[in-house]
Amino acid sequence: MAARAKGKAYVYLNGKVAGAVENPLELAAEIRAARRKGMISGEVNVSYSEKLNAVNINTDRGRLRKPYIIVENKQSKFTRELEEKLKSKEINFNWLLRNGIVEYLDAEEEENILAAMTEKDITEKTTHLEVDISAIFGFTINTSPYPEHNSLARHAMLANFTKQAQGLYATNFNQRFDSRSYILFYPQKPIATTAAYETVKITNHPSGQNFVVALSTYYGYNMADAIVLNRAAVDRGLGRSMFYKTYVDEERRYPGGQKDKFKIPPPTADGYMGEHVYSKLSEDGIIEPEMEVSEGDALIGKIAPPRFLEENLGAGGLEEKVRDDTVVMKTGESGVVDSVIFTESTGATKIVKTRIRSLRIPENGDKFASRHGQKGVVALIVPPEDMPFTAEGIVPDLLLNPHSIPTRLTFGHLLEMLSGKAGAVGGRIMDGTAFAEAGSKRIEDYGNMLESHGFERYGNEVLYDGMTGLPFRSTIFNGVVYYNRLYHMVSNKIQVRSRGKVQILTHQPTEGKARQGALRFGEMERDALIGYGASLLLKERLLDQSDKTEVLVCKNCGSLGYYDHIKKVQICSVCKQNDFEEVEISYAFKVLLDEIKSLHIMTSISLNE
Amino acid sequence: MAKQTQNRYLVDYGEPVGIIAAQSVGEPGTQMILRSFHLAGIESTVATSGLPRIIELVDAKKKPTTPITYIYLESGVNKNFEKATELLKKINEVRMNHIAKRVLENFSKGKIKVVLDKQELDSEGLTQKYVASKIEKELDLEAKIEDNGIVVNMHTRNLKEIRAATISLMKMLVSGVDGAGKGTIRRDDATKEFYLVSAGSNIEGIMAVDGVDKTRTTTNDVFAVYRLFGIEAASKALAIELKKTLKEQKISVDDRHLNLLADAMTASGTIKGVGRHGLSGEKKSVFARAAYEETLKHLIHAAAFGEVDRMKGVTENILIGKQIPIGTGSVKLAVKKEDMAKIKPKSDK
Repeated sequence: MAARAKGKAYVYLNGKVAGAVENPLELAAEIRAARRKGMISGEVNVSYSEKLNAVNINTDRGRLRKPYIIVENKQSKFTRELEEKLKSKEINFNWLLRNGIVEYLDAEEEENILAAMTEKDITEKTTHLEVDISAIFGFTINTSPYPEHNSLARHAMLANFTKQAQGLYATNFNQRFDSRSYILFYPQKPIATTAAYETVKITNHPSGQNFVVALSTYYGYNMADAIVLNRAAVDRGLGRSMFYKTYVDEERRYPGGQKDKFKIPPPTADGYMGEHVYSKLSEDGIIEPEMEVSEGDALIGKIAPPRFLEENLGAGGLEEKVRDDTVVMKTGESGVVDSVIFTESTGATKIVKTRIRSLRIPENGDKFASRHGQKGVVALIVPPEDMPFTAEGIVPDLLLNPHSIPTRLTFGHLLEMLSGKAGAVGGRIMDGTAFAEAGSKRIEDYGNMLESHGFERYGNEVLYDGMTGLPFRSTIFNGVVYYNRLYHMVSNKIQVRSRGKVQILTHQPTEGKARQGALRFGEMERDALIGYGASLLLKERLLDQSDKTEVLVCKNCGSLGYYDHIKKVQICSVCKQNDFEEVEISYAFKVLLDEIKSLHIMTSISLNE
Repeated sequence: MAKQTQNRYLVDYGEPVGIIAAQSVGEPGTQMILRSFHLAGIESTVATSGLPRIIELVDAKKKPTTPITYIYLESGVNKNFEKATELLKKINEVRMNHIAKRVLENFSKGKIKVVLDKQELDSEGLTQKYVASKIEKELDLEAKIEDNGIVVNMHTRNLKEIRAATISLMKMLVSGVDGAGKGTIRRDDATKEFYLVSAGSNIEGIMAVDGVDKTRTTTNDVFAVYRLFGIEAASKALAIELKKTLKEQKISVDDRHLNLLADAMTASGTIKGVGRHGLSGEKKSVFARAAYEETLKHLIHAAAFGEVDRMKGVTENILIGKQIPIGTGSVKLAVKKEDMAKIKPKSDK
């Protein structure tokens, strides 16, 4: 480090002291000038902090940077002339960078500038100009239409929903074997787009459709984020999608030279599931394409060597013992085999991938969301004759409850409805870029478009009740909104159980969808039943419907006895007597007694009555 | 008639009052984690409130984080501000370090010089002379007033002794009641009477002061109430504190649930918390204790001492799968012998 810099400003290069200068502002200005001339790299950023009296020069990686147009002498360096040249592709953006028209600034250097939002705002002190006013938002917000009219919380939700939207996620989806994928049948590009949306070409792989939406209730069916769909629209492919799931298996090799084999397992195989399971497999043990399969059907028949070596020794070489390791359709799933491929792993083992496809038509409980963080779950699919309709005979695809708007501050949704409608009648793609136009001006513009096509200015129309044919007393706002179908669908989540599998250790019902499990009757539920004093109901839940077992309790010593099936007698292994009482207890309690016993602690049960 | 009315308010036989009380307190109590009201103030006596206070009470903490005593005054004193102030000065716990501005230890001469804060002295109604005499009396040291302070002559140059004396000097109680804390005067807007609030809980000492109304003076320190008045009073105090804390948070719970909790905590004759070291840890049933916390400890103890579980409680009966002795399970059908004879078996035709 240099000697103590009295009255001088320290200069930091990438956070390390590089020296001290007398006039820090001059140094910063010099570096900037050199950068703009192209004498030093455009990646260098310099800033002066008055508070610390220090110059920070940063050249390292990991700094978030943003482009600004340079302003000199109250004049933007990006002139009309350059704009024309840029439009005619005579020059490009990099040319602007090289020639000191535009520069990238990092967060630290931004503290030293005064940026004007538009050219009109340039004053004496202005040093930079925003490339575009919408650049004050990030990419995520700029891909949604009219973002300046929505609350930030809704933007956060939108960011999540966008990730969950079904669409055309890849154009080669037919060649892909993703473990799960969703393809929307008739994806559309949105009527209301933004500059950023077009720039990144999301329109090439869209993930939604333009829905005709009416802001209306439909009896109670769209309360609290529920939505009502038009059956006619659904039948014509609205929101329809295909769900693909891939099942994979591999012929593994094991130490000792053994290996798996793809084939229909012989009935002697350990864990053989019965003939019906393998009935759809072809001779090579693998399912054929276009075969309809459902829960429990085998897809890839495979035999594997036994898990433990000793098992094979007993057979005496007569017949090799094998284990059934077939891939079976999971519970609750069904579909058609879309494609089967054979391939090889890097270890030269055979791999089979089967892709199952199944149709997902929108049904009650499926989730939809607009690009304004407005999500909803289908609660009713109404036949078209019962839906409200306009004088022109337009029947909305979706009925959105008007209560969804005011408390959530998503007025962008309303604006998109209006612009979508205007765009639809005018046959135009509408621009929803942030701050491109004042909200009031937009409304009037769209109003003019609508009026020129014979619609009401502000999107309101008289709707007629489909059931009575009578007009509703109030006009109803309707328009066109781009909706995403999200991948949370009931058919992938539905689960039921009455009786079924139990856990081995406790004999209690299993948990979770994959294991055909039940929902847990937990401690708080238990407390609720105690609170009601419903003692028999509680016993039924926790014993009769769970892990009830009958045990033999020795009347003499109180330990648990057993029934000898060969001698056909009951025996107490402690006192060798056969004076027993049959008692119903929970299996968990029996396990507890056994475990205590395994610790060499004797337990005894004394019986009353 | 009176009997009927009385019976209407009784709880049915077998009603699980404990669980109902727990749920009734627990359900609104969950909100307390999310939001808690804070009363802002300049006073030194801002009590702990909300969930921390409830936990403190339910766990039967020996000393509350913020002990507070509400000192009511006798009828001759309570309407007179001057007299009340005088009484406050008698009670207000003043220690040497509160009034000392500077302390100088002169090790070479073996003297300690204490310069007192004039303002503090005045506000407490004390004089240098009084403080000096107090030092002589309490600590048995030679204290003289010299120009601007009190000089204590130790007659020794032993470093350790001088430092020890300084420390005990600083801790010395100059005036007021030991453990009474610092107090303020307040006026009840409804009755126009003055009362004192102090940040201590030595109610025994405070009540010994003349002019204090012994019938109304109270504290939020449940254990102080227990020591002075016994378990019945402690139970009441506990219930009052629980109610007050919940009311502050705008949570309305029926008094009877909180009374039940307070009674359960004090039923043994001492105040017990509800947790592992209190009610739950002292249940009769081995299984009930093992099901709660420290499973192994309870099972090992039961094995070593041959404990017998009588299966009288709820938890243990759920564990083995018996009908619980609560609600519909607390009654059994009984038929008199002579009535049995009347019952004719159905003849199947």
